[in-house]
Amino acid sequence: MQALHDEGVELIFGYPGGAALHIYDAIFRQDKIDHILVRHEQGATHAADGYSRATGKPGVVLVTSGPGATNAITGIATAFMDSIPMVVISGQVASHLIGTDAFQETDMIGVSRPIVKHSYTVFNAEEIPKIIKEAFYVATSGRPGPVVIDIPKDMTAPDNLFDYSYPEEAKIRSYNPPIEPEQNQIDRAVEAILISKKPVIYAGGGAIASNAEKELLELNEIIDAPVTNTLMGLGIYPASHHRFLGMLGMHGTYQANMAMHNADLIIAVGARFDDRITNKPSKFAPNAKVVHLDVDHSSVSKIIEANVAVFGQVKNSLKLIKETLEKKLDSYDPFALQPWHDQIKEWKSLHGLNYELYKDESDDHPILPQAVVQHVHEITNGKAYVTSDVGQHQMFAAQYYHFDKPRRWINSGGLGTMGFGLPAAMGVKLAFPKDEVVCITGEGSIQMCIQELSTCLQYNLPIKIININNEALGMVKQWQDMNYGGRHSESTYQNSLPDFIKLAESYGHVGIKITKNSDLSKGLKKAFEMKDRLVFVDIYVDPSEHVYPMQVANGSLENMWLSKDEQT
Amino acid sequence: MIKRKLILIMENKPGALVRVVGLFHQRGYNIETLHVDSVKDFSTYKDIEKKLETKFEDNQISRLTIETMVSDDLMRQILRQLNKLIDVIAVSNEETTYLKGVLLDENLL
Ligand SMILES: Cc1ncc(C[n+]2csc(CCOP(=O)(O)OP(=O)(O)O)c2C)c(N)n1
Ligand SMILES: [Mg+2]
Repeated sequence: MQALHDEGVELIFGYPGGAALHIYDAIFRQDKIDHILVRHEQGATHAADGYSRATGKPGVVLVTSGPGATNAITGIATAFMDSIPMVVISGQVASHLIGTDAFQETDMIGVSRPIVKHSYTVFNAEEIPKIIKEAFYVATSGRPGPVVIDIPKDMTAPDNLFDYSYPEEAKIRSYNPPIEPEQNQIDRAVEAILISKKPVIYAGGGAIASNAEKELLELNEIIDAPVTNTLMGLGIYPASHHRFLGMLGMHGTYQANMAMHNADLIIAVGARFDDRITNKPSKFAPNAKVVHLDVDHSSVSKIIEANVAVFGQVKNSLKLIKETLEKKLDSYDPFALQPWHDQIKEWKSLHGLNYELYKDESDDHPILPQAVVQHVHEITNGKAYVTSDVGQHQMFAAQYYHFDKPRRWINSGGLGTMGFGLPAAMGVKLAFPKDEVVCITGEGSIQMCIQELSTCLQYNLPIKIININNEALGMVKQWQDMNYGGRHSESTYQNSLPDFIKLAESYGHVGIKITKNSDLSKGLKKAFEMKDRLVFVDIYVDPSEHVYPMQVANGSLENMWLSKDEQT
Repeated sequence: MIKRKLILIMENKPGALVRVVGLFHQRGYNIETLHVDSVKDFSTYKDIEKKLETKFEDNQISRLTIETMVSDDLMRQILRQLNKLIDVIAVSNEETTYLKGVLLDENLL
């Protein structure tokens, strides 16, 4: 506990059990670090993850051995896929029992190995300060990620005393993530920018991890390129900026995907060309040169070959590119991009998202899920922290809630973990108690970590849960509609949904049910007026809605479904 | 696809070997042969010691030789993934070496 305090930890999410009891007793006997008792270890990891995404600080989790540790696995994998810094401390059976199939013994290091950045087992109590120092360094530096520390029970026994001192810095001779890019790489990037007539900046989660918001904006004041963000990158470039194209990829906007496909230069900033972005890699952006800025060597030229690779903290790389470009401004004419901007404007006007939907408050039709998100955006002035789960509601939230700042959009992009939204919102609310925190979820996802409503009561976390209820595993159903002849195999619940209002009330919160379009605006406003209460808003929406645009499988980025019967 | 050789030196720590082998399995690469030694003679690693400003000591370092059947592209990806493992100090194919995350155009191992 002393080491965690010395590391600057303020908050731990956890759940006690036999192998962690010595640590829990130490928690009881101190008052510097707050502990949040969740209701399931998955909730602890998602809450720590949400806290980390919103603050940029590492999330800390404490669980016991065996089932405590395995329950944390989904959350660790979620953080790993999205490169979120997290330190997970798992209790372990006493050293002399390891390997004997002792009560609640699981090989946590083995089980978690493919989903951690690194892991440690404590073999000597004296090593604890050094291991904790290293773990935080590894988790937060380079390409961040979760680190597991497995601590056998005897290592934390009160009689196992040692001379304590906390190391000033961690130095690991076999680990040296790049920080400053090389100037010759920067020069090549600048050359590519100078000759481009159709550039696109494609920024992802790595740009957020590097806190590169200002550098990106400043660089593009010179280049003046259109900018698109990945699902993980939303907010790193202001959505209200006139050069912003929206999200790209599977459910990206028409103009973002068209711009990528037709670009002559793609400047990738902390993004990794994953399969939800590229569609079929061999058909991806056929005429584009690729300049790839990343901190991770293995992410570059993994799927799409980079013409120029710039390794380093992307924040530093962007700054250096800007400084180098400034010296060559004589040979750069941003007006040469005008035809490109005109083209993009045309794409936008052809098939842009319809932002007028929510103005229609008539009862001629059921509530549209897109309109729900637009109302929430309007009521919160676009300033809320929005967490989400996985499914159609997540894509509607990403498309229609416009993020002007990074670290406001908190969702599981890489792993796509249903159940993430509510516990993540708890982590965000604990970090920013005065800010509005909204969880936009679906009736499927919310049931995967619903038990955390109890945690929200214990710690008084007045978040707003917006349940976009389509009475189905909507995204699954959409795929079944499009690819399986409309056969809805196991994607509906046959009238078995709980009464979410009573459920919220039984946990001590407020529930509001909305079924009519004309009640939508009023109902949502009422929910957000209750500042100090958790409100669960259960909104019945049109179950037949699909998310569009949607990439046509195995096509190029320009092949999209625009509606149920319209294809590009 | 041809058989290629990789040489790797890493910290001799518990679990380090499993991470290397696990990475091959996880990414779908197959190992043809695998050889592990604890390094006693550090004379060939003088360059590395100098670059890392460190001194290797007995039983600290393991040397792995791995043969695998892969294409060029995959080889590069394997090198980079191995280089990413925290306990790996350097990894090399015949032409290049990743030393502590830095790519060098020479075989240092
Ligand atoms: C833990 C987990 N299990 C299964 C899936 C696969 N999956 C993706 S979306 C989805 C449906 C989600 O339903 P709901 O939360 O109601 O959202 P909707 O699509 O209806 O908006 C499912 C089952 C997943 N992403 N995560
Ligand atoms: Mg649903």
